[in-house]
Amino acid sequence: MHELLLFASVPAHQHHELLQQLAGLTAMQPRHRLERRLIFKAYRKPGLINTRVGASQDLQGNEMQRLNKMLNGGMFYTQVVGPLDESDFGLNRSSAGDPDAAMSGTEELPTNGPTYSYENQPWKLEFRDIPEAGTRSAVTARLMASSSLPKGDISTPMTAWGYSFVSEYVVEGDIFVLDDIVIFLHRVLNYPTEPQSHEPRRELPPLSDMVLLERSGSYVLQASITVQDGGNQEMMKTASQHLFGLREQLKSAVRLEQADRLSLDTRAK
Amino acid sequence: MSDSFSLPLRPRLDRPDPPDPLPLEIAQINAQWGSFRHVSEDFLRHRIADQSDDASEDHDESPTEVDTTERLDQLYRKRAEITQFAHQAHMEALFALDFVSLLISHHAPRQAETSMSAYLKQVAPMGSLTPEVVDPPPKPDAVRRDTAAVARGWRLQNFHSAANKLLTAATRLESEVAAETRYWNEVLSIQHQGWKVCRLPRDRQALGVQYGFLEATPIFRDRGLASLRRADDGSLLLDQGLVPQKARRVRVRVKTAGRWTGASRTPPPSTSDPDAIEARIRQARDTVYEEELFHEMMREARILAPHGVTTRQNLVRVPVSDEQEIWLDLVDTDGEAPPPPADDGPPAPADDDRLADALAHALRILLTHAHRQNRHRREQPPPPLTPRRRHTPEYHLLRPLLAGLQHRAHVRALEAVLRDLHRVRRAAGLAGDGTVTPFASVRPPAPHPGLPTVESLVRSLLRPLESTLGGPLAAPQASVHVTVRTAITGPPGGTVFDLAVHLPAFPDVQPPARIALRSEVEAVLSHVLLLDVVAAVAAAPATAPGRRWEPAAPHHGELVTAGGSSAAQNRKLTIHLSRDGLRVEAVAVGGLDPFGRPMPDPTATPSSRTWTAESTGPGLLEFVGEVSRE
Amino acid sequence: MSTPTKDQIKALEQSRQRLVQLTHSLASLIASLNQSDPLPSWPSLQSQATILSNNLLSISEHLSENQPLLSSLVAYPGPDFPGRTQAPTLEQLLRTKLDPRVEDWVARGRRRAVPDTNSNNNNNGGDGVTADNDNNLSEHDLAELWHWAPVEANREARQRDWGGDYTLEERQGGVANVVTGLRRVLDDGEDDLESSGSSEGEGNEGQGEDEEMEVVGVRMRPGAGAVAGGGGLEFDIATGGAHGASAVGGEDGGVGVQKVVAPVVPLEGILRFMTTGAQPGQR
Repeated sequence: MHELLLFASVPAHQHHELLQQLAGLTAMQPRHRLERRLIFKAYRKPGLINTRVGASQDLQGNEMQRLNKMLNGGMFYTQVVGPLDESDFGLNRSSAGDPDAAMSGTEELPTNGPTYSYENQPWKLEFRDIPEAGTRSAVTARLMASSSLPKGDISTPMTAWGYSFVSEYVVEGDIFVLDDIVIFLHRVLNYPTEPQSHEPRRELPPLSDMVLLERSGSYVLQASITVQDGGNQEMMKTASQHLFGLREQLKSAVRLEQADRLSLDTRAK
Repeated sequence: MSDSFSLPLRPRLDRPDPPDPLPLEIAQINAQWGSFRHVSEDFLRHRIADQSDDASEDHDESPTEVDTTERLDQLYRKRAEITQFAHQAHMEALFALDFVSLLISHHAPRQAETSMSAYLKQVAPMGSLTPEVVDPPPKPDAVRRDTAAVARGWRLQNFHSAANKLLTAATRLESEVAAETRYWNEVLSIQHQGWKVCRLPRDRQALGVQYGFLEATPIFRDRGLASLRRADDGSLLLDQGLVPQKARRVRVRVKTAGRWTGASRTPPPSTSDPDAIEARIRQARDTVYEEELFHEMMREARILAPHGVTTRQNLVRVPVSDEQEIWLDLVDTDGEAPPPPADDGPPAPADDDRLADALAHALRILLTHAHRQNRHRREQPPPPLTPRRRHTPEYHLLRPLLAGLQHRAHVRALEAVLRDLHRVRRAAGLAGDGTVTPFASVRPPAPHPGLPTVESLVRSLLRPLESTLGGPLAAPQASVHVTVRTAITGPPGGTVFDLAVHLPAFPDVQPPARIALRSEVEAVLSHVLLLDVVAAVAAAPATAPGRRWEPAAPHHGELVTAGGSSAAQNRKLTIHLSRDGLRVEAVAVGGLDPFGRPMPDPTATPSSRTWTAESTGPGLLEFVGEVSRE
Repeated sequence: MSTPTKDQIKALEQSRQRLVQLTHSLASLIASLNQSDPLPSWPSLQSQATILSNNLLSISEHLSENQPLLSSLVAYPGPDFPGRTQAPTLEQLLRTKLDPRVEDWVARGRRRAVPDTNSNNNNNGGDGVTADNDNNLSEHDLAELWHWAPVEANREARQRDWGGDYTLEERQGGVANVVTGLRRVLDDGEDDLESSGSSEGEGNEGQGEDEEMEVVGVRMRPGAGAVAGGGGLEFDIATGGAHGASAVGGEDGGVGVQKVVAPVVPLEGILRFMTTGAQPGQR
């Protein structure tokens, strides 16, 4: 699969307005999205791995094959993405008198500690190649693949595949769909503290404690289309044209552009 | 207009006071009209009504009705005039230039030469015309006065025409303001009524109203937008482009045994004034919805062709049962004739009118549901682009109806069979009852988080339909139940019947698990009920002489008395059960056939008895008791 | 009889220059008329008419300024003028008789000015009563009126804001009380009045709107960044703090007035972080 993308930086003050514009444009309500993203980096030369991973009983055989193929392709950074819910985050200490809690007449005392269950966290592997170089069209195009992963502890199987954990962050934002285009208006939240050990966290801090990567609170607008067969020039062209159409429609609000290729360089050096 | 409203721009010369200052004039306008913003639609309508007489006269004499060729002609005449004037002026100016140039050519030959015409240079040597300063005699007073008069005359004339132009402009501006005010008021009133007013995508200077359905098929979705144009007087014009202005709707009719027996009604118009712009928007919306409904029904009907659904240009025929058909067509709302023609027989039972109405409503609810599903689909992340075009699946409009109707027909038929059999049996004094729970599967949906109630409601209607019928029988602990299931979304004709038979006397008797044909179910039902009669007779307490009946060939309804010393002393009982009646035949047994089965004694006279649903008097068991005593 | 002085020749030369301009303007009008079918564009026609009118005005001013001189000048052919062969040319050059059409025009003005003969004038359907009144004014009265009118008209014109969004009445009653039905804040053109560039400013804004109106419903206002206090948004968007993460980090906690802050980390930095975990600015 191929992915074609355009990006724009959206200052914080424009965010609310842009949300409304996008809602109007796509005729849908924004779909809020919280994601854990773990970055892994290949540490072995490819081709050496021939692993059976213990915890992979919930993966289909062909899924497994695809995974192996993806992970054995070269030395890459790759992402493991897991969807989150706001309730997965730890309770806000400052919000003891949370209006929501007060309103729900049942005196339901907040359970101590987060409800997050690392063991049940579903994961997907999101592989992205470095964007194609020298494409004359003004979009970012790159090879992509994604695949389901076993639930829960992902560090062990990833290590077995030859990948080491680098770091993690949370992405929060809203998704819109305009025909073939997925529009994701999002920003990066960092964890407030350094992890105890160098592996994915098993607990999540309160959402309000998360720290903005971009301190001014700006967002990234990402518009993407996936194309099944990247070799089909006709399809690739159609996809770019759809993106250009969106760029044109949004041009008074934001400037959607091709991303700097090296900023999306996933090769592990 | 100008006579009712004029600005005194022309000087009032009988009174050499300055004309009213403009603020006063604005006040005057406000006094006459109220503030521009507050000029209401009603007020304007009123005024227009007042002026309608004048207006119509104006129209008759209007010089604007010159046709285009004439106008073009006029234009070219004027153009020729302009050109001619320009030429003349140019010529005169050139003469003057030549004159002045030649005049100074003596003193300033270099400059003069640049502006002399070629002809003059040829014929007149430089400096051949010379100026001299003289002391001129004073001009006569008459001439001076005349010159002043001419100048004054033209000045007057020009002021006059300037004043006229200003007045015309003011009048035009004023009527524009009135028209704009009216237009925007109407636009606002449309928006206040909840319609979405937006800029037109193609003509971005124009406003439009969106009344269509975002989730409809693109051809219908794109028709859901009409521009709101302004008429000259400011009233709103709904411009739907090529869309026919006629209101149309899908009509549902029921035909039973070749006769019209029901038709859906046209809902009465929701507003009293059909010309009001809101009513027209509503009508446009309804029509586009109805046309889409019909279009989608046609699409679905085509895939249902194997199931007997037929389509014609403007008609879908859905067979429900052997004698009932549903006709669906798209008709003009106004030009709708009452459906049953006189020669088709007596007026239709109102029942089918209700059926037709219900079907009509159901179709519309289902299309709306399809729209909602489209929206859900649209909001999902799309699959990767492939060269294959995505096929939009046909909506489930007819199929649920068809399933529902079929289900209903099946349940009703079975109910009738069961009822008839039980009636006959009851007349014969046999206990047992058959109750029906139609559409048992349709229940108010449990609230589902994240799903609007209306959607879960429709969803529950789209689940497989299930009805049950049956009940206890005469024999102790015996019962029979039928579950009728019809899948909504699959192909039609997908009704299956599950029978649960409990006959303690015949534990081995079990019907097949799933029966697909109703006739078979009916046969099984009456057979089970026959077996129950046999079991009931067999289970009846022994009568005085001590002879008991034993089932001999229960599947044929045969019982014999047992315990007789010889076969010949025994009696044989044959029971026939049908919807029409229960018939019992008792005969003395003459011997055994080669298979050891009792044979009737050909010499004995059989005694028999028949019960119909209307029968009264002694029941079967009494008869059996009598027979057994013989 | 004397030869004209240098200054007098200069005046004549100025007449010549103005006539040159006039002939050029006329020639170009004729050319553009000939080149277009049916007519040149309305703006171009209008601007040409304006040029011509200015040319005529300048000639007329020049002529009246130099009236004493010009009326005392006579022109006569010198001895080297080939009077015998070119008599018609000379006649044409020295002609003082008016063209018949001009003669007619003059006569119409004369008629208009003389009250008795105005019964058959053609004053574009204006009602006759007023026309009569016009002409009943004495010359003196007229002169007085004409003297007064331009000043007064000018004064009137200055009293109103021709390009503004509010009427004078509304402004006196307080602009804040006006229900416009618009969610955006209208620019009260008060300042424009003094700066005299109001029409220009309007024009720019109008253009800007056309260009900016791409997204349905909401749009940016040109130069929004410069406007203080976040007023750059054309629509006053309700700021519902309910949105998921608006409380995150507390940066934009007090939503009401959002500050216009440019992102600190460039887009590339964010994307790089998302791809490899490299902290921005640590590369």
